[in-house]
Amino acid sequence: MIDSERIRRLEEKARQTRRDIVEMVYRTGDGHPSPSMSAADIITALYFDALAIDPSRPDWEGRDRFVLSKGHACPALYSALARRGYFPPEELLTLRFMDSHLQGHPYAPKTLGLDATTGSLGNGVSVGLGMALAARIRKLDYRVYVITGDGELGEGLIWEAAMCAGHQKASNLTVFVDNNNYQSGGTVGEVTGVYPIEDKWRSFGWNTLSIDGHDFTQILEAIESAKRVTDKPTAIVAKTIKGKGVSFMIGDNTWHKRVYTAAEYAQAMAELGGQQ
Amino acid sequence: MSAEMVSTRIGFREGLIALAEKRDDIVFVSTDSLKVVKGEPFLQRWPERVIEAGIAEANGVAMAAGLASAGLRPFLCTYAGFLTMRACEQMRTFVAYPRMKVRFVGVNAGLFGGNREGVSHQFIEDIGILRTIPGFTILCPADGDQVKQAVLASVDIEGPVYIRIGSGREERVFPDGTPFEIGKIRILKEYGSDVALFCHGFVTNRVLAAADELSRAGIGATVVEVHTIKPLDTEGIAAVLTRCGYAVTIEDHNIIGGLGSAIAEVIAESQPAVLTRLGLQDRYGESGFPDELLDKYGMSVPAIAEAAREVISKKK
Repeated sequence: MIDSERIRRLEEKARQTRRDIVEMVYRTGDGHPSPSMSAADIITALYFDALAIDPSRPDWEGRDRFVLSKGHACPALYSALARRGYFPPEELLTLRFMDSHLQGHPYAPKTLGLDATTGSLGNGVSVGLGMALAARIRKLDYRVYVITGDGELGEGLIWEAAMCAGHQKASNLTVFVDNNNYQSGGTVGEVTGVYPIEDKWRSFGWNTLSIDGHDFTQILEAIESAKRVTDKPTAIVAKTIKGKGVSFMIGDNTWHKRVYTAAEYAQAMAELGGQQ
Repeated sequence: MSAEMVSTRIGFREGLIALAEKRDDIVFVSTDSLKVVKGEPFLQRWPERVIEAGIAEANGVAMAAGLASAGLRPFLCTYAGFLTMRACEQMRTFVAYPRMKVRFVGVNAGLFGGNREGVSHQFIEDIGILRTIPGFTILCPADGDQVKQAVLASVDIEGPVYIRIGSGREERVFPDGTPFEIGKIRILKEYGSDVALFCHGFVTNRVLAAADELSRAGIGATVVEVHTIKPLDTEGIAAVLTRCGYAVTIEDHNIIGGLGSAIAEVIAESQPAVLTRLGLQDRYGESGFPDELLDKYGMSVPAIAEAAREVISKKK
């Protein structure tokens, strides 16, 4: 069982992640706030609980890997890396500025703790699968986690990788689909028609789970349950809310990429328990 | 022409096997292309080191990026255009940009490589595409053993490498074991300094024959093999241009973007000279036998010799 203290701690970390997202977008004047918010709890669960990583040894060969296939949600990831100690949190405010190690989309050679370069949608499952198969070849026991968007499932490469990973029985690969129901141009139903999501992964040979992507108990249990499956990769379709944590961002897709006014910033921080 | 055949596809396979015998980080990423390079002997010896991506080049390239990031040295060999066009973005953003040590081997390059398959499998743009992507090393070995030598020479260099190969029906140009020195031009023949003939790949024997023909007519040509298109040996090329002043490039590739463009850049920036570019004149090829195609599309021995005479005739 997952005890309530463990969950309470993660909920506090997630509020910190979300405050960092708001700070970054407000102070630097750029970034994708609401797609970062929908993925924030999964990223927090991974970096503050599930991943076998050691920030004092970022190049440790046996570490678990994480690939943010929806790279535009990187403010959430950068926050997690900074708060885990890979680099000082003050550097979060250099996001997207020249000479910063924090690129607009993740670039692994520059950012300590970052496992994969991403940003162009659709590629992360393939990259993660390569990492997962490398563990098999090198006889290492690490696991690989990927987060894709739901709109991102429109990229054909996702399904090339899904077919390949299912065929390879890459059971050390877990993919979260951040199912916030929106993409840049509208709801995923309007733009692409990605549903049903679970059936697609299942038909490609994946163990498939459906969870509430903001419920830490469900996130952690899904991760544990994936570890028990030894002959299939796992796809966790996580129902999420785009903008989760800040009331005025929810249901307003302009927050896909938008900068807070001073008043909006103050309200968002207040809702997230900021200025403590 | 009836020279001995030295398959570039087999040359790649032999290079890969030689590497795999010595180190355990070598892996072959196949996009249903293992049999294309007759890779069964590799598969039999190291089945765990073959990763089959399926007929899915973008998946193969992005997976190779993941494999390389986790400490392996992937070689991905498949059709040159399916790599450089279909998976171009993966080669750029996921391999070249993060400086992954992935080695790409593109088969069926040029009219000679694609021959009877026709334009869909006959790639005359690969070098031009990759030349614009920062960080790539681009190698164009002339025959099978040179491919093997290029594989061995490039295994540990920084960043991604692209090795351009053919159909497996290439003529021998060099004796086995001739070293392949990345980044350096090679002067293959120096009859004189009336004209420089720059080339690479499967047209090399034709260029050598044209130089012989010119020599018999009293024109002294210098034949220069530019097997490394990137990084380009600008100094070496400029030195040849200083001596010769007149140049012809011969390449089984579009004249835009490849060797002809590269030499034109050296001429424009470093050492003025008069240039004629032979190769595909910004047009597509067609199905046919490889030698027939090179003849028809302006790369016959007489056409090369004639281009040399013409360029010299532009002397003021």
